[in-house]
Amino acid sequence: MEYKTIMCDVLVVGAGGAGCRAAIEAAKHNLDVIMISKELLGKAHTAMAEGGYNVSLGNVDPDDNPETHFKDTIVGGNYLNNQHLAEILVRDAPQRIFDLEDMGAVFDRTPEGKIAQRPFGKQSWRRTAYASDRTGSEIMVTLTEAIRKTSVRVFDEVFATKLLVTDGKIAGICAVDLKYGDYLIFRAKSVVMATGGAGRIYKVTSNAQLDVGDGYGMAYEAGCEMIDMEMVQFHPTGMVKPESAKGRLVTEAVRGEGGILLNSEGERFMKRYYPDVMELAGRDQVARSIMTEVLEGRGSPDGGAYLSIAHLPKRIVEFRLESMIEQFEDAGVDIREEPMQVSPTAHHFMGGLKIDENASTNIPGLFASGECTGGVHGGNRLGGNALADTQVFGALSGETAAKYAKENRHLGIDRDAAIKEFERLEAMLQRKDGVSPADARDELTALMWSKVQIFRKEEDMAEAVKELRRIEKEVVPQIKVDVPVKRFNPGWHQAMEFVHMVTTARMVAEAALMRKGNRGAHYRVDADPDETGYYNIVIRKGKDGEMELTKEDLVITKITPP
Amino acid sequence: MTKTIKTRVQRYNPDLDDEPYFQDFDVEYEPGMTVLDALLYIQDKFDSSLAFRWECRGGQCGSCAVRVNGTARIACRTKVEPDEVLILEPLEKLPIIKDLVNDISQVTFRIRRIRPYVARDKLPEQYPEIMHSDSIEKLREIRKCIECSACLSNCPIVAETWDYPGPMIIRQLARLELDPRDVEDRIAMAMNESVYSCTTCKMCTDICPKSIDIPALAVELLRAKAVEAGYPLASGQQGFIDQIKATGRAVPEKKTPLLKEIETEEFLVDNPRGRVAFFTGCLIDYRMQNTGKALIDVLNRNGIDVIVPKEQWCCASPAFRTGDLHTAQDAARRVTEIFEKISEKYDLDTVVVACAGCGKTLREDHRPFIEEQRGEPPMFKVYDMAEYMLDVIGKENIVKPKGEIKMKITYHEPCHLGRGQGVIDQPIELLKMIPGVEYVEDPYKNRCCGAGGGVRAGQRELSQKIATTKKGYIEDTGADMITTECPFCTIQISDILKGTEIKTRYIPDLLAESYRLGDEKE
Repeated sequence: MEYKTIMCDVLVVGAGGAGCRAAIEAAKHNLDVIMISKELLGKAHTAMAEGGYNVSLGNVDPDDNPETHFKDTIVGGNYLNNQHLAEILVRDAPQRIFDLEDMGAVFDRTPEGKIAQRPFGKQSWRRTAYASDRTGSEIMVTLTEAIRKTSVRVFDEVFATKLLVTDGKIAGICAVDLKYGDYLIFRAKSVVMATGGAGRIYKVTSNAQLDVGDGYGMAYEAGCEMIDMEMVQFHPTGMVKPESAKGRLVTEAVRGEGGILLNSEGERFMKRYYPDVMELAGRDQVARSIMTEVLEGRGSPDGGAYLSIAHLPKRIVEFRLESMIEQFEDAGVDIREEPMQVSPTAHHFMGGLKIDENASTNIPGLFASGECTGGVHGGNRLGGNALADTQVFGALSGETAAKYAKENRHLGIDRDAAIKEFERLEAMLQRKDGVSPADARDELTALMWSKVQIFRKEEDMAEAVKELRRIEKEVVPQIKVDVPVKRFNPGWHQAMEFVHMVTTARMVAEAALMRKGNRGAHYRVDADPDETGYYNIVIRKGKDGEMELTKEDLVITKITPP
Repeated sequence: MTKTIKTRVQRYNPDLDDEPYFQDFDVEYEPGMTVLDALLYIQDKFDSSLAFRWECRGGQCGSCAVRVNGTARIACRTKVEPDEVLILEPLEKLPIIKDLVNDISQVTFRIRRIRPYVARDKLPEQYPEIMHSDSIEKLREIRKCIECSACLSNCPIVAETWDYPGPMIIRQLARLELDPRDVEDRIAMAMNESVYSCTTCKMCTDICPKSIDIPALAVELLRAKAVEAGYPLASGQQGFIDQIKATGRAVPEKKTPLLKEIETEEFLVDNPRGRVAFFTGCLIDYRMQNTGKALIDVLNRNGIDVIVPKEQWCCASPAFRTGDLHTAQDAARRVTEIFEKISEKYDLDTVVVACAGCGKTLREDHRPFIEEQRGEPPMFKVYDMAEYMLDVIGKENIVKPKGEIKMKITYHEPCHLGRGQGVIDQPIELLKMIPGVEYVEDPYKNRCCGAGGGVRAGQRELSQKIATTKKGYIEDTGADMITTECPFCTIQISDILKGTEIKTRYIPDLLAESYRLGDEKE
């Protein structure tokens, strides 16, 4: 089996908001940094983030401060957050947004010329900094510009498939060059995982096609501990139609700017659920409210609720929600005049690689940041906290990975394991009979959407777990690629992704089944009312190769759960 | 019954195939379907190895640019036409990795070459850094770019030479020039990156998924700043400017100008159905007097009073395009004054133009400038001649031309008429009204001829290259004659067609000729 080995000091896997920020930070330490990316530079899902970046600058509401941001984050996270991490988030968010401005970001301004801030759900003050409703794009463009200034070597369209561990420490990764199909090993002194989320394990999702959970799958297989995997955020407002746009994000900024939710009877139904905060209740709360309306027969014709911004001055809508206008224009709806139809869509993974205050995982030399990590957001992430997360923990992981690289040498590589991995990938191409990745994917995403969804129940989840175990045993080894060509072959790419999707889905389902009460995004119709649920579920691969789940105590620094 | 669309996809795996080929697929149509949906359908149902890029499906990441029926578009925001064959090809100019996937390393290299980030020589004195909304307003608009590279594909300049880095990258230079924090000399860089190579044809704007007006917001902005910084224009370009400043005309007088030749400014008819003023522009006045007369004749025949002010001034398009804002704005004021006076004197509110360049300049450049200056735009509306006839007089009211002109005729859409003023079908409608004309469609009719934007005047060699490519498209139509509606395009195209049998005509001339022939018949 032929492969090439590429050397570097720090390897960053993923090139979204966190990955780019980590690479930029690591490169400041006179190290050779490589950032690999499944997609082209600048195309990561971060560019799809719309609403904003939470930071307690107090530019609009001067009474805001990091303490309040912390409190909102913990309460919003249903107290499951790792409070060390949340403290770091609120502490560093201001400096990280200033970094972005130093790099060239252009956020919208207050009349005094400071960064403007808008209200978002479950926040005490107007805290969310923004660039119209394409804030993620603004940040991604800025980071792309900044990466091009650094010495970071970007290997785009390179897909990491396996972490290589030597004596329990990170040594490198196995990867495939998607353009030409070559097998690659990257050897590094330290590795930062910044691989994003896995919305794509659900049939309806706001996520880009690349968000299939590669990082979760790889890290789990390598022995990394995962936390809060049952906590999947369903964004309350995704597009309903046309079919091909189903699930596409309708930014929370629509509600932040004053948008209201209506049912088929024209009633502003949030007043029956959360009268104090109405549309700006937590994302989990709004999502459940919309679904309840739909299930009780008060939904819109296409199975959602109405979201209207038509009462606002057109000028405001045009300036602050320009992407939304464009997005709905494509669907034949003028949001300045008529309501949008929306319903929940799989959006964000609160759970992921378990990290400590140094963004370090339990595998020495392996660091992580951004959506692929767990702990920062607890049971429910506040809108606007994800972009802040990418920058705060991106920079932190870059710095700590650099320090680690300075103090450690390249480890030897387990070549047998690498060759075995490449043979596994090669086998997909050679297999004559088997299951196509498209069919396998459709089965998996439908299963997750129907059984491990917003309203969960024991028998559904048990069935999902059973099915996923079967898929893992029976379907995964049978995945085959129709056309045995290695040069840019999407069929092969999907086949390689599928195993990661299954592992990720299994972690979500197994953890969800274990949690008997309601907490955060995890909501059961058959919840045990006596369970407060003040624990985190940690998943690791056991010695026997089986998935091990354990309940661990919350990490509390300041706020004790009620 | 489900409707299917025939989809032709270019396939190519350079490892295995000697050259690209097309493969046909039947795609089940669904209302609202996008090109990306069609591609995903093919990938899922027929061939999972079909290579194309996509990520966000929401027009936000810029991965999925492909050529859709010849024009680069991002697949996720381009709707499938249910009654057309869908032809999908990779972007032009960039090498192919496989099928619809281009190698963009040249683009990446070219971006890095301009140091594409905000370069600072010191960090701000305080945080938060103070920047006011008005200082970032223009910046905000051109920063929407998602680097999809689509604009590079159909850019007529990039097609001829990589000396020009293309719209996307020139835009990045303007984005940095507009950033109050950036300290690099972006003007020098823009000069080095051949900013004067752009013909301002606006193909990039048309293609851009974010509709960024790159010629105006980037190219012309950088040129204006270059002029301000003291960079000289090319001598050919400066010649136009000097002429305008001295005489109000961009070219020197040869034979008697139209405005001197005509004895009156009033060309009135009995029972008029409308009244317009005629803005001749420099070339119709000084070089194409017969076209001017033809236009007056055609409008009169259709019951329109035509007022031709004897004192007119150049619209200063050459100055707007090349960056001499002083000359340009002076002209905008003068032209507005002249035609507002005429409007008042003759109680009219419509100015008709028969030159694509003048019409675009009056509409896209004068109008916003005057509005910005005095709070209200010019008091008259501007129409292109064909647009006026079809949209105001109305097809059913147009006096039918009766003289037969038996020819195969194609049409060149002037950039500043089609993309500059949104006048696309009307000239063709007029052509089709002439008896005997067999209209042949040129799929590349809206491809730039290479004359505009100061390129013919400043960079003749490049201009000729663009024109030669255009010539190939024209010849492929098999037409006996090419018609157009811009004097500048007419000159450029007739130059390049010298030595061929293909004639070049101005639409009003042809129309007037048909009317005349019709008269003779009766």
